[in-house]
Amino acid sequence: MAWFIFISLAVLTIAGALGVVVARNVVHAALALLVSLIAVAGIYLVLFAEFLALVQVLIYGGAIIIVLMFAIMLTRNTDYPKISDNKQWPLAALAALAFLGVLAPSFIINRVEGTKSHNASFEGIGESLFTTWAVPFEIASLVLLVALIGAIIIARSDEEEN
Amino acid sequence: MEWAWLIPVFSFASALLIVVFGRSLPSKGAFLSILAIALGFAGFWVVLISWMGADTTTSGCFTSENTHLLTCDYERTWFNAGAVGDVGSVSINWGILIDPLTIAVLGLVTFVALMVQIYSLAYMKGDTRFGWYFAIHSLFAAAMLTLVLADNFLLLYVAWELVGICSYLLIGFWHERSSAREAAKKAFIVTRIGDVGLLVGILLIWREVGTFSMLDAFEAVRTGAMSEGVTTVAALLLFLGAMGKSAQMPFHVWLPDAMEGPTPVSALIHAATMVIAGVYLVARAFPLFEAYDADALMVVSVVGLVTAFVAATIALVATDLKRILAYSTISHLGLMMLSLGAFGVTAAVFHMMAHGFSKALLFLGAGSVLHSTEFQETGEMGGLRKVMPITAILFSIGALSLGGIPILAGFWSKDEILIAVNEHHNVAFIVLTLFTAMLSALYMGRAMFLVFFGPLKEQNEHAHESPLPMTLPMLLLGILALGFGLISFNWPGNYGGFGTFIYFLHPHEFHFEIWLGAVSIVLAVASFIAAYLFYVKRSISLDTVRSNFAGILNVVENKYYFDEVYQWTIDRVVLVLSRLIAFFDRAIVNDIIVNGPADVTRKFGIALRLHVTGHVYSYILAMAIGSVGLALFVWWRVA
Amino acid sequence: MVDLVWFQLLSAILFVIGLYGVMARRSAVLIIMSIELMLNAVNINLIAAASHMEGTGKFSDFDGQLIAIFIITVAAAEVGLALAIILRMFKNRSTVNVDEINLMKW
Repeated sequence: MAWFIFISLAVLTIAGALGVVVARNVVHAALALLVSLIAVAGIYLVLFAEFLALVQVLIYGGAIIIVLMFAIMLTRNTDYPKISDNKQWPLAALAALAFLGVLAPSFIINRVEGTKSHNASFEGIGESLFTTWAVPFEIASLVLLVALIGAIIIARSDEEEN
Repeated sequence: MEWAWLIPVFSFASALLIVVFGRSLPSKGAFLSILAIALGFAGFWVVLISWMGADTTTSGCFTSENTHLLTCDYERTWFNAGAVGDVGSVSINWGILIDPLTIAVLGLVTFVALMVQIYSLAYMKGDTRFGWYFAIHSLFAAAMLTLVLADNFLLLYVAWELVGICSYLLIGFWHERSSAREAAKKAFIVTRIGDVGLLVGILLIWREVGTFSMLDAFEAVRTGAMSEGVTTVAALLLFLGAMGKSAQMPFHVWLPDAMEGPTPVSALIHAATMVIAGVYLVARAFPLFEAYDADALMVVSVVGLVTAFVAATIALVATDLKRILAYSTISHLGLMMLSLGAFGVTAAVFHMMAHGFSKALLFLGAGSVLHSTEFQETGEMGGLRKVMPITAILFSIGALSLGGIPILAGFWSKDEILIAVNEHHNVAFIVLTLFTAMLSALYMGRAMFLVFFGPLKEQNEHAHESPLPMTLPMLLLGILALGFGLISFNWPGNYGGFGTFIYFLHPHEFHFEIWLGAVSIVLAVASFIAAYLFYVKRSISLDTVRSNFAGILNVVENKYYFDEVYQWTIDRVVLVLSRLIAFFDRAIVNDIIVNGPADVTRKFGIALRLHVTGHVYSYILAMAIGSVGLALFVWWRVA
Repeated sequence: MVDLVWFQLLSAILFVIGLYGVMARRSAVLIIMSIELMLNAVNINLIAAASHMEGTGKFSDFDGQLIAIFIITVAAAEVGLALAIILRMFKNRSTVNVDEINLMKW
């Protein structure tokens, strides 16, 4: 059963990802990305990471996709639906396959057997987040703040600068 | 005496002060310069008196084994090259050496420099670079005094070059004129040829003796530590430097052109002080020249004689007043060299001083004339005694003195030279020397009569006597030119004549060779009378003489074609060689060795920059390929 | 229970697809999307490892999940900034095609 769920989610994930990189229409690409991200959330559930699945759906499926949609909408121009790949795409495909050719065998050769099949509770994650990982957590909040300010400064229009 | 080093320091300080603060000082700092040299002149008296009071018990003083003169040497370490005591380490000293030769030249330089600077106050008035003029003047005086006081060859060489550069600056003082620039370059380059000889000579002595100290070098020669060949070669190399500085043939060509500088400069540098540096060097290094049968001295005397004779003939036909004086200077420097070559150190130094005073006087007189009439050609002058009587009288004194009329300084010094030559060389020398002396009287008479006698030209009627700052120095120099010969006699008391003050090994009292004196007096007086008949009375027609000697005259008037030969050599040999070297430099050194690597780098860069496409995805592609390559590499290494 | 290696292979495939997207696409917006794919691939890898392995030392069993949380945080910040940059780019050059933004070339 777990196998079946995993396979179908994996297929969905890869199909969505391929959709992102081959779609001719940018909106279709964004929708394919959404499919892929939701499927990844499913993968997390298979791994018993409920909290992460929730975060994935909320942040990726919600916030990030919405922001990307905004980007698409705000930069709309005439040749927009007919996006194309650049001239080096065959080379890029070859390089990507080579990358996979290095990555996949290394996973297979150095195969490790799982040693457990339980997972963390929400309480456990929260406790760890605010004890062991407290400092990175604060830094992450700072990163978000800086990114927020930076985004506003970069994106504001020229007239406001004077 | 230990403080004699202050004498040049005053002038160095004044030169520095004028250069730095000159603009804000009253009279642009000229008074500083005069004050400094006046202090130097006072210092000369202090040194002279304390030397007279000194004996071998005075600190630093001893009787030199090489000259038998009471010599005082004060030196301290300048710097050490390498650790003290190590093999190959060199300790460079600077110090002052005081003996009668030093004192005599010190007196000459400080006095003439003082006179000339006072004179320059009026002469250079209103010049745009008034302060700069006095600054270099001071620097020059300082360098010359250092040269005289130096107790080692290295310090002497430094001062020697400083003197050269000051001369260059002063000749080219009016550098707006291209002729002045050319003359300055010529003087610098020609003397530089000799300077190379001097440097090589100094280094040769250093290699043999291991020190730059003059006294050590003389000692090495005396004890035989320096072999005959080396000594002679070193002496000749030093003489090469002396030939450049003292304008001996064939390096004399720069001196006439140096007359492009302001006239007081000619008086100071090119008559009385700088040009005697060469004579001073030979006199100073006399133990080197005299050693081992005096082979080097033979060269010195021949060069001196030829120079004296050739320059005298040119002086006879030159028309530019300052050039007449310049050739006269060359001729008399030749006489000094000749005298040195004939072991007449006393005579040479005596003539150096008598000539220095007289020639400075003549140049200042010439400057006074030029200042007033603005002409340099003797043909434009004549009868000037009517409008500038003081200058006329003083100039005549200088001319008669150099011409060798009795009682005046030049007569006695010339007499000493004649005696020395008579004692040490054969008949040909004495005849030529007498002939040169006669020519000397003839051209001096010619200059004097052409300028100051005869009818006054209309264009010169507005000419006037020069102001007091110009006539006063001339007057003082005139008194010396008149009476300086007195110091050569035996006087009651301790003083036995100049020959007991400066001598080489053996002091000698004044003596007078009757027949030689008589011949020289007759020749001199006859020459002046002849000049009077030629140029004032015009009772003997010049034209017949000219037409009889047309061929010789042509050669002499073209200065024996020295300049032409040099020019030809430079054009045909030096410049052709230079062009070859320049081509080598441009084509091989510059284009291939220097620009070659730069070119390769540039081309490589142009080729390399093609990968910088500016496209983000290209960079990422490269990164991906690189990661794969890196991973494979690590894998291969580990596995 | 599905073996760890399958999750790792999935993550590798997803990463490579994202890499291809970054290398081949022209639109800056699509490049951002591809980067998101790559980040997700990394997250899958981390979480799979966290779920299959015991923690060692001072790390608890699910620290992999926490790192994934941070990655998601950074990704969110990155997308926000990227949007700002794309907007500014579009305003200045009227395009979001990265091959037309090549001022940095020779």
